[in-house]
Amino acid sequence: MLAPSAIIMLVFGIVVIYGGLAYFIYRAIKTKK
Amino acid sequence: MAAIGSAVGLGNVWRFPYVCFENGGGAFLIPYLVALFTAGIPLMILEFSIGHWARGAPPEALKKINKKWEWVGWFSVILPFTVALYYIVIMSWCFSYMVYALDLRWGLSANSFFTNFLGDTGNPAIFGNISFPVLIGLIALWLTVFIILYKGVKRIGKVVALTVPIPTILLIILTIRGLTLPGAVEGISYYLTPNFTSLLDANVWLAAYAQIFFSIGVAQGIIITYASFLKKKSDISNNAFIISLADAGTSFLAGFTVFSVVGYLAAQKGISIHALGEQIAGPNLTFVTYPTAISLLPFAAAFFGVIFFIALLTFGIDSAFSMIEPISESIHNKWRITKTKVVGLICLFGFFLSLLFTMGNGLHLLDIFDHFIANFGLVIVGLLECILFGWFFSLKKLRNHANKTSDIKIGIWWDILIKYVIPFVLGIILIITIFENITKPYMNHPWYILIIFGLVPIILLYIFSKIFSKLKAKKEVE
Repeated sequence: MLAPSAIIMLVFGIVVIYGGLAYFIYRAIKTKK
Repeated sequence: MAAIGSAVGLGNVWRFPYVCFENGGGAFLIPYLVALFTAGIPLMILEFSIGHWARGAPPEALKKINKKWEWVGWFSVILPFTVALYYIVIMSWCFSYMVYALDLRWGLSANSFFTNFLGDTGNPAIFGNISFPVLIGLIALWLTVFIILYKGVKRIGKVVALTVPIPTILLIILTIRGLTLPGAVEGISYYLTPNFTSLLDANVWLAAYAQIFFSIGVAQGIIITYASFLKKKSDISNNAFIISLADAGTSFLAGFTVFSVVGYLAAQKGISIHALGEQIAGPNLTFVTYPTAISLLPFAAAFFGVIFFIALLTFGIDSAFSMIEPISESIHNKWRITKTKVVGLICLFGFFLSLLFTMGNGLHLLDIFDHFIANFGLVIVGLLECILFGWFFSLKKLRNHANKTSDIKIGIWWDILIKYVIPFVLGIILIITIFENITKPYMNHPWYILIIFGLVPIILLYIFSKIFSKLKAKKEVE
């Protein structure tokens, strides 16, 4: 099993990177409409 | 899409995971993301704004500030061309390995197989013979680059619609496979377990800034050139955020692809991941460690081997043609030579120069060349861009230009980052690199080798940039 600190970093990376990417793609699509 | 393709390349797969592992594991994500938001994205916005405002490749854009700075524009477009010379050779290795993966020809001795494949002489001073498989791949790849580029930007759009999503999907497939292997969790643990004390180490922060700087494709004239093709109403800041985060997302994903398989390999061999050391980065990872792990897969090993190298090839191809496009567009614009002729001549010239890296000492020459071009060439261009646009031009003008068409408005913070923060960080990186290279010759190579294959190319770059900027444009002649 991954250590809790590794899981925290995993969630942190996913939220900031992929969450950020999804957010900016969403804004781009919204603006185009 | 093309800019995402140019940003995401081999470095995302073979550099980021290792840098992360070496610099505090999961904790490295903190300086990495800070560097992304304080240097990567602001630089990306700067280059997008320059290209969109100037409506031209870097030499034209720099000329608009002052004619005497045109050479900086030429320097920034010749630089990626020189990178392409060896980048395409590495892709040619991937091309051959894609074929070898069909029958896992490297077996369990991937190291000696790789050495034989290159005809490696083990010494940068001994040239040896041209590797025939590398030569075949090289011809195929330069031809591919020519076919993609000679018809201009429309064909690029069609190609990247395939070459951006395909490798990402393949990387996801490889990651899923990797995560189901025994030992994968230990591998991921090495990748993600944070060592927060490393955040107190200034070198870790510098490594994060360097990783961002080298990965997202700024300071190579590519973003400026692509931005000049954008429609006048295109959103600048949002594009910059999407490209930078897509690049970071691919790197983060690649960490799982690499470390799951590295964990599996370590478990199979009964060794610690630390024992693999630098085998987890660069050509060693791609052509030795990963293929060895692939050979040990219980089933469908060839299939996963093939898709790994297809992923690398498709990741690499859009980066490769992006490195050629800025110089071809610049020459086309300045001397009004047709795009077909320019691209044809550049690809032919590039092919002959690339032959240097297909010899028995190619791996070593390529390493020296890359060390100097990346550590000095790219950092110098980035630094000059920030200084020239930050101090000798109105950043406010560029900011207003970007804000006019952008959904996300950029504020004065951007000016501060471009004028002070980024030049400061790049300046420190440059000083440290110079100091390290003077006090200890790179990889303990003889000085004359480092001067001929490291320093001389940089000086030649400068000389050619000056010559290109002094030559009269076709319009001026008329």
